[in-house]
Amino acid sequence: MGQEKEKALFQQEEISGGQQLPMVHVASLAELPSGMLAAVWYGGTAECAPDVKIFYSEREPYSSWSAPHAIMTRAQAEKDMGRPVKSLGNAVLLANPDGSLRLIFVTIAMGKWSGSQLNTCASKDGGLTWSKAERLTLSPFFNFSELVRNRPIPMVGGGWCVPVYQEFLGKFPELFWLKEVDGKLTETKTRIAGGCSSFQPSLVPLAARRAVVMLRDYTSARKIFLSRSEDGGVNWSKPVPTNLPNPDAGISGLRLSDGRLLMAYNDSTTDRSNLSLALSGDEGRAWKKIAVLENESGKSFSYPYLLHSSDGLIHMAYTWKSKQIKMVSFNEAWIAKQEAEYGIP
Amino acid sequence: MNMELTHQIYAGLAPWFALSLLLLGRSPHPSRTRIIGSLLLGFFLLRIPVGGWHLFAWIRVLEPNPSFTLTALLAVALWHRISYGKIFRAQDWNAAWLFGSLAALTLYPMGLGLTSFDPFVWGWGEFSPIATTLFASILLLRGNRFGIILLLTPAGFLLHLQESQNFWNAVIDPFYAGFSLIAGAVLLSRKRD
Repeated sequence: MGQEKEKALFQQEEISGGQQLPMVHVASLAELPSGMLAAVWYGGTAECAPDVKIFYSEREPYSSWSAPHAIMTRAQAEKDMGRPVKSLGNAVLLANPDGSLRLIFVTIAMGKWSGSQLNTCASKDGGLTWSKAERLTLSPFFNFSELVRNRPIPMVGGGWCVPVYQEFLGKFPELFWLKEVDGKLTETKTRIAGGCSSFQPSLVPLAARRAVVMLRDYTSARKIFLSRSEDGGVNWSKPVPTNLPNPDAGISGLRLSDGRLLMAYNDSTTDRSNLSLALSGDEGRAWKKIAVLENESGKSFSYPYLLHSSDGLIHMAYTWKSKQIKMVSFNEAWIAKQEAEYGIP
Repeated sequence: MNMELTHQIYAGLAPWFALSLLLLGRSPHPSRTRIIGSLLLGFFLLRIPVGGWHLFAWIRVLEPNPSFTLTALLAVALWHRISYGKIFRAQDWNAAWLFGSLAALTLYPMGLGLTSFDPFVWGWGEFSPIATTLFASILLLRGNRFGIILLLTPAGFLLHLQESQNFWNAVIDPFYAGFSLIAGAVLLSRKRD
């Protein structure tokens, strides 16, 4: 008896709902052990503005997103940390196996992104209340300027590997290893590359000790870069350009169930007017485009964030024209259908 | 006492000492009134409200983790100004500047991305406090009093007086690094002459 073929599924929805903010940006997703999806993003009048808040919304499987509510404001961050904060920025959400959530978020102390730091707080009631935020000291020079953006990876035995990057004198990618032992956080870092090279790493584990990171370009190459580790993320190869373009914009990658890699990216060297998907069957060496999800000249579709949920669906949250946080969800059958449409054998 | 308050009180010491030193001025033997006045004025200046926050909170925005070395060196300098007793001799100050220069040159260029190697990660391991303790012991055996200050760094680190969990922050900060590099350069140029 032949196996029943999975039906291709694709759907698009708004996460930020009825929010009428001049700017929303940089969404991240997490799946709770119950199967619920949670999302965080920031919004306000403009990037680095004092009124920027971090918003949270959640969704039961096959349900709609809850009304967004602010889980971190500038005033709350100032109160928690006992010092002035200029603004808030990127945030990522970690869902622990016990159902608790951890938020890692950027605060800007002065200037713009180069004057930022990372902070963290936790929620044990599904995002309703959050612990006092605490500052993470991850950089030697006045703790400037460490940022977070892409999907954290849970580690075997507990803890998280969080892709981070610096934007002070140079822009370069790092990994931040976070563990919580008896309520106390322990941390360390690994550098992927130095200098003014590439940043905003998207980490994709391939096997127990092997992984790749895809990197946003900060050179004149205008390509997505890729680096490999064969020792559990301790040492990384020199980043090399892939065949995918990059207009100095955020990317996101993940590994499909058949081992191939999926990348969400802006298919341009100059702007963010389209958002596309590409597949690689050789661990990131060569990529083939399989879909264009958004395409409108002069508009911006950016900062994709991919998540593979336990029900087999792939979700991608992204910033839609800076006005909304949208999400597309699809399954691997839809990817196969797209491959056929694009003539990929 | 909760850790946040501990961190705040500790982080306030270095700016308080520095302000008091500035207020004492260059007079070689300040009067007791001037000493007490400078210490009190330094303390209250840090509590001046600026934009809804004390001045100290703004300083803490820039440097929440003054190193134990900087704090102790400022305390020594303050003691030298308010008493006739000298704790540090020229060779002790020289050791402080040379150590600060070496630490700064080891940490900052690579820590800020010059290479793909990041020495800042050493600060999360056990090696750095042990190496610093050993180096401090060697200085003490050679009769150099900067060794006492260096011994304070693992002690302060173990007591979690700083917000940071990285030992580099116990040893050096950009202010101590800056002073050390300038003083180290002056020392070297004098040796050449």
